[in-house]
Amino acid sequence: MKKTLLASAAIALASTAAFAADGIPVGHLADLTGATASVSKPYSQGVADALKYLNAQGGTGGKAIAFETVDYAYEVPRAMAHYKKLLDQKVVAIQGWGTGDTEALVSFVAKDQIPYFSASYSGHLTDPNGKTSAKAAPYNFFYGPSYSDGCRALVEWAADDWKKKGGHGKAKFVHMGDNHPYPNAPKDACGAYAKEKGLEILNPIQYSLKPGDFKAQCLSLKESGANYAYLANTSGSTISLLKSCETVGVKTQYMGNIWGMDEASLKASGEAANGMVWVVAAATWADDNAGMKLVREIAKISDPSGAEARPVHYMRGVCSAFYMKEAMDIAATLPGGVTGPNIKKAMYQKKAWVPAGLDGVCLPSGWKEDDHRGTTQVMVYQAAVKGADISMKKVFTADIPRRTEWLGW
Amino acid sequence: MISTSLIPCGQYKTSYAKDTTLFETPVSRAFCVAGVVLLLALPQLGVSNYHLTLLIQIGYLSIAALGLNILVGSTGQISLGHAGFFGFGAFASAWLNNKFGVPVLLAMPLAAVMTTGLGLLFGIPAGRLKGLYLAIATFASQFILEDFFARADWFSGGSSGAMAGTASLFGFDITGDRAYFYVVLFWLVTMVLLGSNLLRSRDGRAFVAVRDHYLSAEVMGINLTKYRILSFGISSFYAGLGGALYGHYLGFVSAEGFTILLSIQFLGMIIIGGMGSVMGTLMGTAFMVLLPEVLEIGFGGIRAVAGDVAWLTSGLAYAKQASIGLAIILFLIFEPDGLVHRWKLIKSYWKLYPFSY
Repeated sequence: MKKTLLASAAIALASTAAFAADGIPVGHLADLTGATASVSKPYSQGVADALKYLNAQGGTGGKAIAFETVDYAYEVPRAMAHYKKLLDQKVVAIQGWGTGDTEALVSFVAKDQIPYFSASYSGHLTDPNGKTSAKAAPYNFFYGPSYSDGCRALVEWAADDWKKKGGHGKAKFVHMGDNHPYPNAPKDACGAYAKEKGLEILNPIQYSLKPGDFKAQCLSLKESGANYAYLANTSGSTISLLKSCETVGVKTQYMGNIWGMDEASLKASGEAANGMVWVVAAATWADDNAGMKLVREIAKISDPSGAEARPVHYMRGVCSAFYMKEAMDIAATLPGGVTGPNIKKAMYQKKAWVPAGLDGVCLPSGWKEDDHRGTTQVMVYQAAVKGADISMKKVFTADIPRRTEWLGW
Repeated sequence: MISTSLIPCGQYKTSYAKDTTLFETPVSRAFCVAGVVLLLALPQLGVSNYHLTLLIQIGYLSIAALGLNILVGSTGQISLGHAGFFGFGAFASAWLNNKFGVPVLLAMPLAAVMTTGLGLLFGIPAGRLKGLYLAIATFASQFILEDFFARADWFSGGSSGAMAGTASLFGFDITGDRAYFYVVLFWLVTMVLLGSNLLRSRDGRAFVAVRDHYLSAEVMGINLTKYRILSFGISSFYAGLGGALYGHYLGFVSAEGFTILLSIQFLGMIIIGGMGSVMGTLMGTAFMVLLPEVLEIGFGGIRAVAGDVAWLTSGLAYAKQASIGLAIILFLIFEPDGLVHRWKLIKSYWKLYPFSY
């Protein structure tokens, strides 16, 4: 008994020593078991693989990036508690995940000066100075178009589509999602733009982020006579909705948010997903270009055979990690070295750029002191599913204007 | 000399006061005071922030669990809605502070009072229902409150949650775990003292009578409805205070934190610790908070030795979750009376050493 105790104490010491090894501490939060796990798994794998790859290439400023992926099950309180732990480890930056926790942490990371690279693209995170929104988010960054801009692009596509199809009168647009910070984030901003584009806005329909039976919601959707439905939840919940609505016989055109659809979900939904459009903000696994070669190398870290096809979210995880790393490289040359405030400064050094080696994967993005909208370019993809034949292709690219009043919305 | 640490064999008590004393010997009182003094000194002794976080967690959860133990362990009622009251306290305190500028230190007990009101209201079914039926009624209160948190934008900030300000005293901000530890410790000591004293008061004896045999209690003139509902109120006061401490500790209150799972965890704490025992509540809470952490360290060690292998990492994560469940099951089989019972056995072993029989 004593021996095992001693042994475990020694192991415990060894483990803390391993973490304290010479490296730059960075936090990494992921949802591996919660409501959004289906999309967080590939994304966080992308972040982790990229960081490990970069460490193998020599890390940043001669030091490795020390990180540990922590599952918080999409529960804000757990993320908050873990954030306190990260403060103890003196992390200089954090790779985060959801909207609820990211928005809850906004004022904390601002106070503690820790750049927070979230997988939440909530429009509320784009206003660093709080000029046009209630809350400033000076230390929040994300790679990709904001949810609001993504939804605006879908609205533009819908307006075009309605014209093309020769629809009579106003097209009816409905927002569908859970009562949760993430699906709620683009609701008002997108609704206002849809009105501006001449769409009629119907009452939003609520369905849970956790997959379930959504026939009741599908019946309300059918009854409402909506032409375009914006699905604001993540892919797990989208699959259930598409399946339920297929049973009920809904003919609405679905438009998914960036986390609402991916290759695996297309397969799972089958023909119910045929014709669905959604937002994509990086290259897909099927693309073949110089950047994707590097991504395939990176993917070998968690899958040495390289056979596993990665969903669209994986690439965005890689991009997010690379942007952070390049900012750390620049920060290392600034007086004071790699610190939170220096990483923030470094993010503003370049105009719209693509991390080295990832051309054709990440969209050119640049951040400014007064505008944290990295990119406003939105690619809209459409799925074609017939039996086992699944394909997706780009149908529309939108350049959403950078209106000042849209900052932080 | 001996009488300061040993209890004479046989009944030598000559007053009721002596019969209900909290500390049976001066030494046990000294130990208790020394324990509190040690805790007071702890933040200055270079304890790591991580350990301090765990202690704070044990602190606010203990306060809430103590309330549940008064309701379940001492009054014999059941509640599956304790997390709802815990959450209400957290939101109410943040709301009082944000909306009306009530200082945080004052907002916390006020929030507890508001939660008491709510608890009295939701406790009304207890006047009529017993056992499983009461469990379902309180289950309903859990869902009503959870949904209320997610929708009441004016009160809780709706689905996006509410910021909970930092406490300050005489113009000094109580920031950081080291300072907040004292706030939690102050309330924990106060609430433990109140709880222990409640149980030896007239009302406390009425609670126990209701638990042991409600019919006899009624025959003796105890108003069942009054005491059942009162018990809900008191338990909600504890839950509200614990929740308020939790909210201001995290700095942010979100509706998702107060699910039925937390309610069941509270029940787990008091069952593992020992029903109806103040000391047991503290032990049970410490057990529930520390178990995952201890396993995390153990499995982290295996990971450190074996290296970062993908299947091992995910396998260990699963093994960790499973062993939490396993530990609880084993515990219930081998220690059905709770940790406090084991503690008593250890004490009597040493008291009788080496002549125990």
